[in-house]
Amino acid sequence: MGKIKGFMEYDRMKEPVIDPKKRVKNYNEFTLAPKTEELQEQGARCMDCGVPFCHSGCPLGNLIPDFNDEVYKNEWERALTILHSTNNFPEFTGRLCPAPCEEACVLGIVNPPVSIELIEKYIVERGFNEGWIQPEPPETRTGKTVAIVGSGPAGLAAAQQLNRAGHTVTVFERDNKIGGLLRYGIPDFKMEKKVIDRRLEILEAEGIQFQCNVEIGKTITAEALENEYDAVVLATGATIKRQMPIPGADLEGVVQAMDFLPHNNKAVDGQHDRDAKFLAKDRNVVVIGGGDTGSDCIGTSNRHGAKSVTNFEILPKPADSRTEEHPWPYWPFKLKTSSSHEEGSHREWSILTKEFIGDEKGHVKGLKTVEVQWKKIPGERPQLIEKEDSEKEWPCDLALLALGFTGPEKSLPEQFGLTFDERGNIKGENDYQTNKKSIFTAGDCRRGQSLIVWAISEGREAAHQVDSYLMGTSTLPQKNKAGDLVAV
Amino acid sequence: MLPAKQGLYDPQYEHDNCGAGFICSLQGKKTNDIIHKALDILDKLEHRGAVSADGKTGDGAGILIEIPHDFLVTQCNFKLPELHQYAVGMVFLPKKENQRSYCIGVLENEIQKQGLEVLGWRKIPVNPDVVGAIAAQTEPHIMQVFVGRGSDTLSDHQFNIKLFIARKIAEHTIFSSKLSEASYFYLPSLSTHTLIYKGLLIPEDIKGYYQDLKDPAVVTRLALVHQRFSTNTFPTWDLAQPFRYMCHNGEINTFRGNLSRMEAREELLENDLFGPEIKKILPVILSGKSDSASMDMVVEILLATGRSLPEVMMMLVPEAWEKHASMDEDKKAFYQYNACIMEPWDGPASIPFTDGKYIGALLDRNGLRPSRYSVTKDGYVVMSSETGVLDILPENIEKHGRLEPGKMFLVDMDEGRIIEDEEIKKEITTKRPYKKWLDKNLLPLKNIPYTGNKTPVEEEDFETRMRIFGYTQEDLKTIITPMSVEGKEAIGSMGTDTPLAVLSDRPQLLYNYFKQLFAQVTNPPLDGIREEIVTDTSLSIGSDYNLFDITADHAKKLSIQNPVISNEDLDKIKFIENDDFKSTTVSTLYETQSGLNGLEQALEEMIQEVEKAIEQGANIIILSDRGVSPSMAPIPMLLATSHTHHAFKRSKQRSKFGILIESAEPREPHHFSLLFGYGASAINPYMVNEIIVHQTEQGTISLDADKAIENFNKAIAKGIVKVMNKIGISTLHSYRGAQIYEALGLSKNLIDRFFSNTATRIEGIGLYEIEKEISKRHTKAYIHESKLGLPLEIGGDYRWRRDGEAHVVNPSTITTLQQAVRQNKPESYETFSKLINDQNEKLMTLRGLFEFSSFDPIPIDQVEPWTEIVKRFKTGAMSLGSISQEAHENLAIAMNRIGGKSNSGEGGEDPKRFQPDQDGNLRNSAIKQVASGRFGVSSHYLSSAKEIQIKMAQGAKPGEGGQLPGPKVNPYIASVRNSTPYVGLISPPPHHDIYSIEDLAQLIYDLKNANREARVNVKLVSEVGVGTIAAGVAKAKADVILISGFDGGTGASPLTSLKHAGLPWELGIAEAQQTLVLNDLRSRIVLECDGQMKTGRDVAIACLLGAEEFGFSTAPLIASGCIMMRACHLNTCPVGIATQDPESRKNFKGKPEHVINYMYFVAEELRQIMAELGFRTMNEMVGQSQKLNMKKALDHYKAQGINLSKILYKPEVPPQVKEYNTQTQDHQLENVLDFDILSQAHPALYRKEKQHLEYRIKNTNRTVGAILSNEISKIHGAGGLPEHTLSLKFTGTAGQSFGGFATHGLFMKVEGTVNDYFGKGLSGATLVAQVPEKSTFIPHENIIVGNVALYGATQGEAYINGIAGERFCVRNSGAKAVVEGIGDHGCEYMTGGIAVILGDFGRNFAAGMSGGIAYLHSEDGTFDEKKFNLEMVELEDLQDSDRTTIQGLLQNHVDYTKSPKARSILKNWPESSRNFIKVMPTDYKRALELLAKQELEKTV
Repeated sequence: MGKIKGFMEYDRMKEPVIDPKKRVKNYNEFTLAPKTEELQEQGARCMDCGVPFCHSGCPLGNLIPDFNDEVYKNEWERALTILHSTNNFPEFTGRLCPAPCEEACVLGIVNPPVSIELIEKYIVERGFNEGWIQPEPPETRTGKTVAIVGSGPAGLAAAQQLNRAGHTVTVFERDNKIGGLLRYGIPDFKMEKKVIDRRLEILEAEGIQFQCNVEIGKTITAEALENEYDAVVLATGATIKRQMPIPGADLEGVVQAMDFLPHNNKAVDGQHDRDAKFLAKDRNVVVIGGGDTGSDCIGTSNRHGAKSVTNFEILPKPADSRTEEHPWPYWPFKLKTSSSHEEGSHREWSILTKEFIGDEKGHVKGLKTVEVQWKKIPGERPQLIEKEDSEKEWPCDLALLALGFTGPEKSLPEQFGLTFDERGNIKGENDYQTNKKSIFTAGDCRRGQSLIVWAISEGREAAHQVDSYLMGTSTLPQKNKAGDLVAV
Repeated sequence: MLPAKQGLYDPQYEHDNCGAGFICSLQGKKTNDIIHKALDILDKLEHRGAVSADGKTGDGAGILIEIPHDFLVTQCNFKLPELHQYAVGMVFLPKKENQRSYCIGVLENEIQKQGLEVLGWRKIPVNPDVVGAIAAQTEPHIMQVFVGRGSDTLSDHQFNIKLFIARKIAEHTIFSSKLSEASYFYLPSLSTHTLIYKGLLIPEDIKGYYQDLKDPAVVTRLALVHQRFSTNTFPTWDLAQPFRYMCHNGEINTFRGNLSRMEAREELLENDLFGPEIKKILPVILSGKSDSASMDMVVEILLATGRSLPEVMMMLVPEAWEKHASMDEDKKAFYQYNACIMEPWDGPASIPFTDGKYIGALLDRNGLRPSRYSVTKDGYVVMSSETGVLDILPENIEKHGRLEPGKMFLVDMDEGRIIEDEEIKKEITTKRPYKKWLDKNLLPLKNIPYTGNKTPVEEEDFETRMRIFGYTQEDLKTIITPMSVEGKEAIGSMGTDTPLAVLSDRPQLLYNYFKQLFAQVTNPPLDGIREEIVTDTSLSIGSDYNLFDITADHAKKLSIQNPVISNEDLDKIKFIENDDFKSTTVSTLYETQSGLNGLEQALEEMIQEVEKAIEQGANIIILSDRGVSPSMAPIPMLLATSHTHHAFKRSKQRSKFGILIESAEPREPHHFSLLFGYGASAINPYMVNEIIVHQTEQGTISLDADKAIENFNKAIAKGIVKVMNKIGISTLHSYRGAQIYEALGLSKNLIDRFFSNTATRIEGIGLYEIEKEISKRHTKAYIHESKLGLPLEIGGDYRWRRDGEAHVVNPSTITTLQQAVRQNKPESYETFSKLINDQNEKLMTLRGLFEFSSFDPIPIDQVEPWTEIVKRFKTGAMSLGSISQEAHENLAIAMNRIGGKSNSGEGGEDPKRFQPDQDGNLRNSAIKQVASGRFGVSSHYLSSAKEIQIKMAQGAKPGEGGQLPGPKVNPYIASVRNSTPYVGLISPPPHHDIYSIEDLAQLIYDLKNANREARVNVKLVSEVGVGTIAAGVAKAKADVILISGFDGGTGASPLTSLKHAGLPWELGIAEAQQTLVLNDLRSRIVLECDGQMKTGRDVAIACLLGAEEFGFSTAPLIASGCIMMRACHLNTCPVGIATQDPESRKNFKGKPEHVINYMYFVAEELRQIMAELGFRTMNEMVGQSQKLNMKKALDHYKAQGINLSKILYKPEVPPQVKEYNTQTQDHQLENVLDFDILSQAHPALYRKEKQHLEYRIKNTNRTVGAILSNEISKIHGAGGLPEHTLSLKFTGTAGQSFGGFATHGLFMKVEGTVNDYFGKGLSGATLVAQVPEKSTFIPHENIIVGNVALYGATQGEAYINGIAGERFCVRNSGAKAVVEGIGDHGCEYMTGGIAVILGDFGRNFAAGMSGGIAYLHSEDGTFDEKKFNLEMVELEDLQDSDRTTIQGLLQNHVDYTKSPKARSILKNWPESSRNFIKVMPTDYKRALELLAKQELEKTV
């Protein structure tokens, strides 16, 4: 399999992009497709390891060496079959996944790893372009009905799997369009929404019913849903935003990222005009939170035409490369420069915001910070210590809070009478099955805020459990969890 | 009389090897002296035999002489007729009188029933005092019976037949009598010509025991003698040799198949002379006898058919005629005709035989046993395994000869002359019109017309069928595609770490429950690639005929060249229209809905259908699994085949038909060889054919489909040859039905019912579970919907996949181990060991099924410290070459620091490493390995060892050799291996100096001489019978025996060998421990164990089962950074371990501390367990298997039938019998001639003064020169002394390994003859073998040096004034030699040095020769090209430089030996130099040119 010395012959290729200065002028994706031969070369870099750590590092268990080999051999349709066998939506992960597989790649020990995500993305893009991805409705229906609450990646994956197993599936979404965070959380420049629509067409054609603007627990009661469907899958996400309870947090211009981004996405979609309070144009923007959402805020602010964009992170600046604390093949905490950072931002580390300062109109005009240090005591959680005499004031007209989520909303699970785990997530007594036998849970609402790739994995695994519950046994694929690369 | 089966010990796995010989008078002089001389021969061969723990009981010896008529007349109180008019029977009888008289009665009765007359009985005078204690327990009462003809009209032949019938029926009657001493009854001989005295005695006691032999009136013209060396420690009286017509030195590997085929032949026996009695003499072969005894019984029946003794021997042990390019037509036809009747009895065999009229001997087709003879001027012929066994004056020698492979040596006693091989065979082969018979009757497959009839196309869709038969993408990509593209099997690396089939959650093919057996120690594996001329895969199919009718009918067979056949060929047979052949297809499907009942019923119906078909005249039965459907699933083809084979054997109809297989199942060589091994005669793998066609259509294989299928079939044939070769079998003909497998995980019921006579030691699943597996696969194949996953599962057997087969080594275990050792983090190690131990417990390995029990905790500080424990730890044999210098040295430094041992592997070692380096690190590997390639094995190398390991087999590929491709042999690797850079290196499958147990004893002796301080370790691989082999090895005086598991790693091995050969160490170590303890041999040796050992728990279990030292390979490599790429064979290892690429090597990040940390963690985990169990020291723990239990809660449906009690069995022995190593072996070096020399050679050795010394030498002076060289190496290093510092002259016959490992500065000359292994491992000395001046024979027509001369020589020179035997200069890598003639397989695997051959040479010259140069001379300058193996060499004319080289060497030859031949060549040099030819390896030439170019570039 593969090209035996490919990894010695070819270098890793980064996906070509449009110049930052040009790309910030619009909200479109800014990547450029590599040539087929280039992709084949990238596939040839795969070493076909005896123990492919990438395959273990991928929460979905993507058969990475196998599709790499097919790409190398220019057998794209076969590559697609392999890719789809573990991943319902490679076009999402191919764009958005932070690629733990690449961090686990064996070649990464000595050289830049194989560009797995790039290959993944272009396999599925080729599939859509060639028309290989067609609806595959089940040949027979089981007569069982399943309701899926939430249409993010977990809900959609569960829906597709269960539908293919022959069940009649309805997906409920309280927002006006299907997709959850994919649609309104992820800016278009990272994934244009037609990518979702294209997939939804397939799902609909396969027979899945979608109901938007329906909020379970309100529009339909939990009880009604439970009674009407043979099984229910809750894939409602972890939507409670972490707050910042400091002075000035209620000032105008202190905005949650997860309000800012959806607003913008809807504007890009032409659903409404941008509200001034969510507009970064000509403003000094401070994004608090150094994660992916923070990055999305930076990219969006720059596209608005912000005067300046500053990014705060409470943790210290990570090393440029892996440290011994995070040895290969685990996910490393190292400095990541996202495409949004490249588009222009100032980054601050080890910094804690103490107060938002308002102007007389009750609008934020600046913020006060201190520098912090982390004290590590073995066996205990690290302590945050403020450095003396390190107070500083920053001008700020728009503060975007990208602090993550604390867990799922409680009201709906409570209506169903479900139990929660110690972290406040919906508890799967038996993995995905809740304390109520017909009610299942998957995705961020079960495991807490996580990656898309985990969400899809959760949806697939939950689907297997639902199918087993409904039919006694299930032929839906299930990954071997023992293969997950677990840090110790 | 053998001990009963107990635990893992089973007497049926005993092996035989021996010394044998004969002496006869050509002038027909009858003397008593011949008896004494013959027994002297045995005395001189004593080192080839063995003695049990009591020090007295030999494995058996005996002598066959002519009937001493005149003597007997005086001894009998009844009248004897003329000589030859009566028969004498030597009879072993029960001790108890009542039982004895019963036996006598039965025998007399049967004799009388044949119309013969019992003339009387004579009690033989014996002296029981000489019998050893063990032998005395079973000593029989011995008498002679005299039988008269009863009627004058009886011909000799009729008389013999009546004797035969009487004896056979008496045997059968008594053995079935249930007498307690029935097994005492045995007739060593009953003949009109010969008489045998034998017993469980050591040779010197034979005449002490049998008083007759001392009587001067006992005279004979001939005497045949034999002594056994069996691995067997419970020898018996009746199995002592000679047998009635023959004795045997060697081992019949095909025995099980021969036995089974013989049973089938018995169905048809019919003869007027026997009449209805014939059924009563069956079975011909009594059960429970040795291979040699059984062969003798077949000789008897064949003689009864009227064939002559030489003819019978030719039938049983044919020459390698199949690929013989120049054999005459009649002879070939004789062999081919007889191949239709009898498959070869194959294996190492030197077989002396006699019927009183003829005495002779025959050698197997491979020439694997030595057989030397001398003819004296006063009319004696002496033949034996060694030369020099009788003192004969040089001037009395007329000729020194040897038996050549496949050749016969025969003396006609009545004519008083030696009949040459050609003459005997000419007479025999032209007696009947064999050629005509064949031409008329034999039908080659290619001659069958294709009728166009075709098997209907399958209805079920392609992918569904693939799923039903369990195909995965890996099967397609990894197994099938490489074979159809390359025509050979794919290679893999590292060990297998997937669960045993019986422990796997995934449905397994039945094939996976069988493990291939392989040869180790008692007989050699073969090399079917380099020695292709002796291998053959053709088979013939059809009905068999009566052995007594020597007619054209036997030739009515369908003959197939490669019995892996295409669809078209199958169709030809299916629709054959021919009077002699009729085929019927029988379906092997069953109704899945009926489950087990359905399967049982289908198996039943299958037999009924076959029965019906043969009634209707079918003689070819095609078992077919075509036509699967949702309701019909396939019976495993192996089950169907073996069932048919055994069912019809039981009903005595097996000879009526051949079995052909039409199956979708087989895809790997292992599958095919199993089908053949259980009775199939040809196989059509139609699914594979379909897959290949599909792949070519898709473009995955860019070849024409027919070509690709042909490639695949070829690859399978090669793979089968490899499997056969592992156990030492050369022809598929004898492999068919031989069942050379061990079952692992199948219940005894199942085996007895369908695979009878296959070992299955831990039991396991039965038919119910088999059905469950089939139905699981079948159901899944149908409910599968491609949209929910892949149409075909990925697989994951060879490379880890989440949803594939489980692997012990996986991302989590690798990661946690690496973290543990790099950060010295005990928590990580705990996680690692928990993962491994849990995985084990999750049923991946046998040890996982155990749990510790009988806890008796002590405080952990009372347990011996880790620093003591790690001294018992070793790292595995990984050569420099297979792994990088960095990785190799890292392991050595680590192990030296903690007092453990690292192992050099088979690849030599840089002498720089023998001393500590500047940083104080010692990079010297404590263990130096000696493997079949002998790379870099020199006196100095051996002198640097603490332990020397003889690798008999390797877990990953037991029974196979290896290959280091040219590109990996960089200049550094080449320098330590003593080879030429960029020239590929081959390790042969066998050690060419170990074809049997006595040879191993000799190598151990050699190595002990080469370094007296080092322990000698013999590495074996677990398989059934390894315990008895270990007992033999202990008797051969190894200090350490290593039992490896099948799952050990490798740098490169064919994929199927990785998985299917050898067994887990749990079985091997337990069997070895039990057998050694039973025989009180355990205390003499250290028992070591390795094979995927990773945690303290693993070590604890190995220890409780009997091991006291432990080897680790994969885990320390992982600790050093290995991430199980499994690309070792590709030279691309990205972490710098298994690679020689300078760039990749830079990536090596391992440190000695990592390895040390790992060893520490393992030892600490072990200490915890020891504390819980209550052991303070490891010695207390060894073999205490009562501390282990089988896990109770086994909820795995397949594992439930497993029974581990045999592994846990502890033999009951008296308290003085120790269960661990308490003493050292007595190597008996005190009598070595070298010590005499040492005492006189001080000036030369210490002061480098030139010295000349002279000695007498005998064949019992073995390995002369090795101790001297060891001393020189220790004092002077690798360079030794200046050339010719110590000059030694020996007169007489040199024993084996003369000049072994002899180093620089020694000049050693023998005037006389020399035995095998002359110059083994020659390390710089000059050796000379010269014909004594008083001899009158022509040197270049006489053999003066034995087989396998200069094996593994690295430097030095050798001059041989006469012929040397087979395999001259095998694996020579640097010595220069001149010889005046050689046998077959000359210069095999040679990689360097020069061989000048002035006389005749045998077949297959230069096979596998990748380096060095050979110059051959003939009188007229012409050479028979067919005798060369031209695969790797070219024949060239000489250049001037060549002429200079030869001239110089010939001048030396004349100076040292006075060779008339060399002198005459030199005399006419310009002319005679034209009569040379140069044999130049292609690789070598290329490498020399490259090196010259590099040299040039350097200077520019």
